[in-house]
Amino acid sequence: MPHDPYQRLKSPFSLDDYVVIITGAGGAIGGATAEVLAAAGANVVISDLNLETAQIVASKVTKETGKETLAIKTDVTNEVEQQALVDATLKKFGKITALINNVGWGEYTPLWEVTMDYMMKSYLLNTVSAYSLTKLCLPHLKKQENASVTFSGSAVGTTPSPEFISYSNAKAALLHMSKSIAAMSGPHVRANSIVIGSVDNGEATLKAGYDPEMLRRLAESFVMKRRGAPYDIAYAFNFLLSPAAAWITGVQLDVNGGGSYKSKMPTED
Amino acid sequence: MSANFKDMINLSGHVAIVTGAGAGIGRAIAETFAKAGAAVMVSDRTAEAAAKVADGINAAAGKATSIACDVTSDVALAAMVDETVKAFGKVTILVNNAGGGGPKPFDMPMDDFTWAYKLNVFSIFRLCQICAPHIEKAGGGAILMISSMAGENKNQRMTSYGSSKAAANHLTRNMAFDLGPKKIRVNAIAPGAIKTQALASVLTPDIEKAMLKHTPMGRLGEPSDIANAALFLCSPAAEWVSGQVLTVSGGGVQELD
Repeated sequence: MPHDPYQRLKSPFSLDDYVVIITGAGGAIGGATAEVLAAAGANVVISDLNLETAQIVASKVTKETGKETLAIKTDVTNEVEQQALVDATLKKFGKITALINNVGWGEYTPLWEVTMDYMMKSYLLNTVSAYSLTKLCLPHLKKQENASVTFSGSAVGTTPSPEFISYSNAKAALLHMSKSIAAMSGPHVRANSIVIGSVDNGEATLKAGYDPEMLRRLAESFVMKRRGAPYDIAYAFNFLLSPAAAWITGVQLDVNGGGSYKSKMPTED
Repeated sequence: MSANFKDMINLSGHVAIVTGAGAGIGRAIAETFAKAGAAVMVSDRTAEAAAKVADGINAAAGKATSIACDVTSDVALAAMVDETVKAFGKVTILVNNAGGGGPKPFDMPMDDFTWAYKLNVFSIFRLCQICAPHIEKAGGGAILMISSMAGENKNQRMTSYGSSKAAANHLTRNMAFDLGPKKIRVNAIAPGAIKTQALASVLTPDIEKAMLKHTPMGRLGEPSDIANAALFLCSPAAEWVSGQVLTVSGGGVQELD
C-alpha cells in the first residue's frame, strides 16, 4: 500500500474512517482506549468475555463521541468465537483497519505452586489467542491504508516476576511474537507492543492481589510519582495506530511512568 | 485528561528549544512544534539557516526566533538558553537534535573518538543541565534526544559514533530518574535513515533499494515521521512516558554501505 505523506501531514493523529477491534475492551484500559480512538474518528468494536460490560462501554463511547460502536462477547481462546468477532466486524463496518490484542489476565501465584495446566492456560489466553486472532484479521488488515496490530504487553513480561510466573512468561512471549510478526507483516501491516506499567484500573487491580499499601509504594517507585491512568495507555494506542506512526513497526513502547517495575509483592519473608 | 487526543497533543503555552534545526529532522521538529502551538527557539550552527526556518514559522502564523549556536561551546549553550528566556519568558521543552558523525576506522586518532562524545554526549548533557532548572521553574516539561539506531546496532567502524549514541540512550534512561521528581520527562527517538536533502543528494534508485533490503515498511523515513513522534513524546499525551528510546525506523536497519 503506498504511503500517503499528505494525509499524514494534514491530520497525522486522526483515525477517521478506521475500524478498530479491541479485545478485552470491557476493562478500564480497553474502555478508555475505545473512547479515545472513537473521539479520534474510529468505529470501535468492543470485544469482551462479558457481553454486559462490553455493551456498557459501547454505549458510553457512542454517547460521548457520536461514533457507532459494536459490542460483542468473545472468548478469545475459542476459535469459533474469534471468527465470529471478525465476521461481525466486517458485517457491520465492512473492514478492519486495526486490531488491538488487549486481552490479558494474571494473578499472584507463589512461584512453586503453579501447575502445568495453569501455565498452559495462561499461555493460551495471553499469547496464543492473540496470534490466532491476528492471523484471522490479517487478510482484511492488508487491504487498509496504515493497518496495524498492537499488543498490550506488561512490565511483568520484561522484568523478572516470580510472583506472576505464568502471566509474565506469556507476556514476554507475546512481546517477542509482536516483533517477529513485524518482521514479515510489512509493508501492509505494522505490528507493535505497548508495555504497560502499573495502571490504576480500579477493581481489577485489587482483585489481582494488590493492597493499598503496596499500591502506595508502587506509586512512589515511579519517577513520575504516580501510577498510570487508563488514558495514558489510550493515548499511546492512538499514537501508534495513527498515520503519524506509519513508519513505526516492530517496536516496544514502554508506558510506565519512567521507572523500572520493581515487584513490591511479598516474597518468602 | 481528555478523551480527545487532539487536546493532549497540543503544545500551546510551551516554549521549545530545538538544536540543529536549520535543516532536516530538526527543522521538521521546529515547524511541527510551532504548528502545535509552541513558541520555538530555532538553533543551528549557522545563523542564516536558523533564521530561514524561524522566518518560515513566523510567516505561517507561528512564533519563533533563531540563534546560531555551537553546541560544543558551554558559552554558546548558555547564551542560547538566555536568549530563549528573554524572547519567550521560559523554557519547557528541549530537543537535543544536533549531533553527528559516522563510520570511523578502529585505528582512528583519539581526537576523532573524543569528538563523537563532545558532539553527541557532552553537549546534550550540558544543555540538559542548563535547561533543567528553567523547565522545573516553569512547572515541568520534556526533554527529547534525537539519537540513532547506531546506539543499538552492532557493526564494524562504529566504535566512536555507535558508542556515543548508546551513551546518549543510557543518559536518557538515567536522566529520567534525576528529573522525574522535577516533573521533567526525558525520552529519545532512534531514527532509521531519513530522506533529508543531505541523504537525497547521494541516493540513486539502486542504493535506495539496497538500503531497504531489511526494512519491513519498504521505504526510507521522512522528517515528518520523526517530527510527529517527537510531538507525541514532548506533549501532555505522553505525560506518563519517560526514560524511553523509541525506534522510528520502518522496522529495520538501512545502511548506506
